[in-house]
Amino acid sequence: MSMIRLKNVTKFFKPDTTALKDVSLHIKPGEFVSIVGQSGSGKTTLAKLLFAEEGPTQGRVVIGDWDITNIRQHEIPVLRRQIGVVFQDYKLLSQKTVFENIAFALEVAGEKSSHISTVVPQVLKIVGLSNKRDRYPNQLSGGEKQRVSIARSLVHRPKIIVADEPTGNLDTIHAREIVELLKKINDFGTTVVLVTHDRDIVNALKKRVITIQHGKLVSDIEHGKYVLP
Amino acid sequence: MSIFLSLFRVIKFSFQNFFRNFWLSFITMTIFVLTLFTINAVIFMNVLAEAALESIEQKVEVSVYFEPDTSEDLVKSVQGYLMGLTQVRTVEFISEEDALQSFQERHKDNPVILSSLDEVDGNPFGHALVISAHSANDFPFILEALDTPEYEPFIKQKDYQDYETIIARINALAFRVRVGGFILAAFFSLIAVMIIFNTIRVAIYVYRDEIGIMKLVGANDWFVRGPFLVEALMYSLFATLVVVAFAFFGLDALGPWLATYFGDTDMSVINYFKDNALLIFGSQFLALSTLSILTTMFAMRRYLRV
Repeated sequence: MSMIRLKNVTKFFKPDTTALKDVSLHIKPGEFVSIVGQSGSGKTTLAKLLFAEEGPTQGRVVIGDWDITNIRQHEIPVLRRQIGVVFQDYKLLSQKTVFENIAFALEVAGEKSSHISTVVPQVLKIVGLSNKRDRYPNQLSGGEKQRVSIARSLVHRPKIIVADEPTGNLDTIHAREIVELLKKINDFGTTVVLVTHDRDIVNALKKRVITIQHGKLVSDIEHGKYVLP
Repeated sequence: MSIFLSLFRVIKFSFQNFFRNFWLSFITMTIFVLTLFTINAVIFMNVLAEAALESIEQKVEVSVYFEPDTSEDLVKSVQGYLMGLTQVRTVEFISEEDALQSFQERHKDNPVILSSLDEVDGNPFGHALVISAHSANDFPFILEALDTPEYEPFIKQKDYQDYETIIARINALAFRVRVGGFILAAFFSLIAVMIIFNTIRVAIYVYRDEIGIMKLVGANDWFVRGPFLVEALMYSLFATLVVVAFAFFGLDALGPWLATYFGDTDMSVINYFKDNALLIFGSQFLALSTLSILTTMFAMRRYLRV
């Protein structure tokens, strides 16, 4: 049983860029997997395939039992409510408070206000920001902003969290805090896919490591390390 | 998911968009208001021209003068004949004595003209009929009806030419107002289309991060597009309300001024707007919102990738 399955996936960008070449992998439910590679290796493209930001040129992408290879436009929102996404640049709305930023994800999904006022404090507690719910993003540190972003990704109780370079803008201490938070979320049973090129974090995690180089999957090691130069 | 809850949130986001980009919204609305003003000015001028025409038409009378030796019985029979025509409103009989008296009264301050009466022997005037019609356009028919061998030899003169010219001039003016107004309204509508297109384009650009996040967290297609459509609808609604307010305050203020020129005509113009307010402004709102929604859809199709 796979939570994520890529079968012979190739992704080609016009005019002449092949971001991924014949990549196949399986990720089991509840796994914590780091996808590593240098800049331009294709790891972000791989992450985007998981939440249908991009579609494969060849091959198949399956999430749970759902083959999203040729997902229809109107099905994408349904998929994205099942996959939490975290980015390096946080993607928070500057004119909304912490609470409002998180609530926004539920509002656009049409959730009731009573549900929102129950769930948002819960996720704020998980990420340790209960006391900063009324702050605006510019009143938060980088680590706190990323925790808001993670909190927002959690509100739909997703089966998968895809974190694309979540520590890219953070100092070492805040980066470790974020990784610890992702581990905590993983402990609750959520599958976590961490896309990173941070050697120290990957080595400290001692979890499964998939290495992508020039668009190809070059290694997939349980309890692996960052092996690239 | 509750449809009403989602609709409420779409409307909430639309209001946020509207007020966050206040100046852009203000300019868009101003152009909408100008477009509606032009259209209403055309309607106003048209109604005013119609009312003026009607007012003049009611005052138009054609006098038919008979030869001095024509008998009163014959003239009365012509009067009866004319009254039988459906186009005729009234026919007043003026006897030769009344005609003379009226002439003397009219020229009492001019002894030269009065003395000319002494030159002729007796009363130089014949009987006359003063005809008013339901419409000025009926006069050619009425006058033609008098061109019968039975009456024609006794008729000395029919004076209608002056009125004909005035009516023709007003008709021509009304036509020019209509054509000019139509061109102006079309011009402003075109500008309104371009402005709304640009407003939505800018709004899509301004909210690109927000749109990206909406998509990221699983907002469906119409939830992303909805606020832009509602915003376009809001521009149309606010612009219509502004024009309605200006129209009624403006018409009330114009009332006394119009009265000095057109007598009761001003009331008919104001009443026209008041009686047909729902039709006039409702149809303008519908037309404007249809135009703005179509333009918004076009702008979204071009610039919004959902």
